[in-house]
Amino acid sequence: MIKSFLSQAWLYQKARTAAFDWREFLFLDAGYPVMTLVFYCLLAAYSFQTTDLTQWVIGNSFLMCVNTCIFGLGSMLRAERYSGRLRSIIAAPCNLLSVVLSCGLFPSLLAMGAVVFGFLVGSVLFGVSFSGVQIGLTLAVIFCAMVCASCFGLLLSVFGLLSDSMHLILNMMNYILMIFTGAEFPVSQLPAAAQIVSSLLPLTRSIQAMNLLFGNGDGNIYILLLEELGMGAIYVLLAVSILKYAENACRKAGKFDLF
Amino acid sequence: MTKSVLLSTMMLQMKQSFARPMFQFCLIVNPVLNTILLYEMFRNSGKTNFAAYVILGAGLMALWGCICFSSAGDINRERFSGTLALIFAAPAGFQAIVLGKILGNTLLSLGSLLISLATAAVLYRVPLSLADPGYFAVALIGMIGSFVVVSIAIAYLLTLSRRTTLYMNCIEIPFILLGGMAFPVELLPAWVQVFSRCLAPTWAVELLRMSVDGVSDTALFWNKFAVMCALSAVLALLSMGLYQVIDRAVRIRASLEVF
Repeated sequence: MIKSFLSQAWLYQKARTAAFDWREFLFLDAGYPVMTLVFYCLLAAYSFQTTDLTQWVIGNSFLMCVNTCIFGLGSMLRAERYSGRLRSIIAAPCNLLSVVLSCGLFPSLLAMGAVVFGFLVGSVLFGVSFSGVQIGLTLAVIFCAMVCASCFGLLLSVFGLLSDSMHLILNMMNYILMIFTGAEFPVSQLPAAAQIVSSLLPLTRSIQAMNLLFGNGDGNIYILLLEELGMGAIYVLLAVSILKYAENACRKAGKFDLF
Repeated sequence: MTKSVLLSTMMLQMKQSFARPMFQFCLIVNPVLNTILLYEMFRNSGKTNFAAYVILGAGLMALWGCICFSSAGDINRERFSGTLALIFAAPAGFQAIVLGKILGNTLLSLGSLLISLATAAVLYRVPLSLADPGYFAVALIGMIGSFVVVSIAIAYLLTLSRRTTLYMNCIEIPFILLGGMAFPVELLPAWVQVFSRCLAPTWAVELLRMSVDGVSDTALFWNKFAVMCALSAVLALLSMGLYQVIDRAVRIRASLEVF
């Protein structure tokens, strides 16, 4: 079963990167997130009147996973529809949950790489020092964040069965993550109701935990990480529930392959 | 004839653009979310004129987003719908049609400035007080002109490329950064400022801010206005030359409809 899971995950990853184009990688996968990180860090330097950009390098490095976890995974089922595989996936006798989860495996690993790359760029450009920070715990935080973000991306992907406006949904989610996760400004600035929204989103706790590692803020890192993983599990459960509903709706309406 | 082509293209473009969910996101949702994000980042900045940065910044960022994903992307849309070759070879003239499309998009996109203004007023009770409405009107007209010229150059360049989606995603943030739309370009390294100063919209943004704060030095305002006009004129001339080159290349390659 594990072998089948891994082979499915590898197959999905191969499909995603089969048409590899160095320009796309250079400009979109690497250049665009770095440029976004630089832009928001400079904006923070100006608006918060500070030269210590550690919090923003952390927040925006975590947001670098958005390209893979939100836009990549979020449009997964939509992409399957375009490639004509959706009907087979829905009708196949295998467990749909394992198919959906396997699609998130390699993107999560790649997203971890993107976050580490963001930290490196941030430390070079904005002088953020990692001396004294526990590397093991840092990697654990990044791992939990990416697992949770990937699960969230999978949840979003399910809406691809129900909506034809995934671009709109994913772009909006990108902004929502910027506003509510504490990547660009402290969550405590938000009204109480908005802070509840923050707590329901991925990355909020990971960004808080990473800030704790750098000596900013209060809280227990381990509890935050457990909560982050718990949120990931909730996203997967929600994804499965909605998937079942969407699957039934698709079977009844016979609109698997309609665009 | 050109006038009627321009007008009919503008009207058609506005209708087509507004029908797309992604354009609706760029025009309506993006300025709202940008205003919230920038307001939260600037609210503790201690700047007396932070409303100008929030409202203008959010509006301009959304305006540029609309232009990026519409004016630049329209070439690709025409290609996918099989009409690019038709409008290229039409007796009305490709230049007139592209200009009509860009004018239509730009005028429609100006709504993002109003939406940003309304969001700040409704959510945060922050009105935009214009110190010099007359100068603001002049700066706004200059800004529209400079954005139109830049859009034409980009649209012509993308006529040759089959990676329109990639490039239009990649130019959004760098242009916002270089144009000083969210913070002054003086914050950028000196060598980057050289590129910023070569862009007419950078000067247009400065003129808008000057008019919001109050023009204390009218000579400086008109000097900047002259630089903006000169840069726009140079780019317009370059675009006309570029069109001749592209026109020839497209006819030799005959690859306009290849994607």
